[in-house]
Amino acid sequence: MAGYSCPFCGTASAGDSASCPGCGAPVDVQRKVTASGWIELPPAADLARIQCGRSSLQIAGTLVPVADFALAPSEGLYFAHHELLWKERQVQLQRTGMRGAWKRMLAGLPVHMLNATGPGRIALSRDAPGEMLAIPLHQGHAVEVREHVFMVATSSVTYDYFMPPVWYVTQNGDERETHFPLGMLMDRFTATGGPGLLLVHAHGNAFVRNLAAGESVLIKASALLYKDVSVAMHLHFEYVQRKGLVSWLTAGWNLQRYLWLRLTGPGRVAMQSAWGHHHDPERGIVQSTPATEHYW
Amino acid sequence: MDAYSRIVCQWCGNQNTSPTQCSSCGAPLDVKDMVTESGWREAPRLRDLTEIRFDNSTCQVEGELVPVVELSLAQGDEVYFEHHVMLWKQDSVPMRLVPTQGPKRSIFGLPHLITAATGPGRIAFSRDASGEIVVLPLHPGMEVDVREHAFLLASSRITYSYVRIKGLANLLHGGNGMWLDRFVTTNAPGLLVLHGYGNVFERMLAPGESIDVEPGAMLFKDASVTLETEKIQLSSGIFGGSSMYVAKLTGPGRIGIQSMYHHHAGGE
Repeated sequence: MAGYSCPFCGTASAGDSASCPGCGAPVDVQRKVTASGWIELPPAADLARIQCGRSSLQIAGTLVPVADFALAPSEGLYFAHHELLWKERQVQLQRTGMRGAWKRMLAGLPVHMLNATGPGRIALSRDAPGEMLAIPLHQGHAVEVREHVFMVATSSVTYDYFMPPVWYVTQNGDERETHFPLGMLMDRFTATGGPGLLLVHAHGNAFVRNLAAGESVLIKASALLYKDVSVAMHLHFEYVQRKGLVSWLTAGWNLQRYLWLRLTGPGRVAMQSAWGHHHDPERGIVQSTPATEHYW
Repeated sequence: MDAYSRIVCQWCGNQNTSPTQCSSCGAPLDVKDMVTESGWREAPRLRDLTEIRFDNSTCQVEGELVPVVELSLAQGDEVYFEHHVMLWKQDSVPMRLVPTQGPKRSIFGLPHLITAATGPGRIAFSRDASGEIVVLPLHPGMEVDVREHAFLLASSRITYSYVRIKGLANLLHGGNGMWLDRFVTTNAPGLLVLHGYGNVFERMLAPGESIDVEPGAMLFKDASVTLETEKIQLSSGIFGGSSMYVAKLTGPGRIGIQSMYHHHAGGE
């Protein structure tokens, strides 16, 4: 099996181990693609071993997986403090403040990260059932990750965040309310110090697909896990006319509104199957980021 | 002695005559022993409908996401449990209340009365969360401490008591709770069944060996393992620092942790 290329992350390897050394995906399972084109990411095999620089990690457990790192001397990683499960006593922890603390606090994001430096072992887990996705990043490669999905990244990966162009404002009388279906902020990870590794947590199962240039797909905003920077996104509203008694009873809101996130290629997108429902108040929209709409 | 008499269960140490699963704890014997490179052993993923014997009764573990423990109690065999973990039972199974060592546990949200069910008949238990069932057969003379609310059931040959986790740091900052349930066997073996949120891992600590664990992740430990809540100072350059608290566990003895350490009501 020389010259094996992982169909999920693209990492080349000899293929003689049970799992991909880049993302932990099993090498002996057939790639499952739905009829609609989504690739079902196989959960990392239990005790799958992933190499990142001189350090390595094992993904243990299948229900609420644990990322068990063996850090080489002077190599490190960063994460939010609540992900820590256990550590050896020689692993050094240091706190790092994030820029824009006030904005991050408003968005419910951690304002500090913990840096762990080797040598030693440290393990992290997210407090929810689901899958752990390892995303190997090549030098210069970047991905954009929905907030609260990020688990841990190696220190060769730069962390930044931005306000995604996905929000709208509703008005009820004098009261205006801004809604962020994708969250207020979005994380961007770039491998700037050489190849790096990023781990994200998916609630439920994870699926990816590669969008061709100009190809688009509509997904629920909170189902998005991550996307390539090249993938454009904007809001899309669909309206369905209510008829008869229902229309009379709901006068003033006689259109049923469906809110989508439109993703347009080229690039890779990933989604999770368990997603938090975004409550749409169905009030009139008075302002929004660029959006398309369709009436049925 | 037949060909399989030397199969020793890696989880509970029982010698088995069955080629497939341990008769004492239900662990599959025909799958690889799962130990991480860092030394944590995964709790054996019990096969659906695994059957385990204790006293003259049997215990079957059903389901995998939110597993159910179903007991077929023999005449006179008894188990005790917290009442809210009971899923169903036959009409004929009698129940009684067993007082613990005083009502002070109620102040901290723990039941001061536990419920006992006596055979003959069938009764089933489940905890209301996804996770793993951990079957711990206790040999005579063992003492195991379990995090509060993690215990699912125990056979009546096991003595139930509790110990307070000492230290102001634990009271103010620990995530271990105020008490640990202590299960002790004297002359006879017994069966203790726990529920761990997410996946469960265990390891043996050598005498004096220590490890830092997220306080809410500690599931069980031998009574010989000491537990202290310890502050880790986090420096952040010229602007000073802050701190976080971990549970410092020091051997000798066995410890178990769970990977989901805080019960989620659901979703994000």
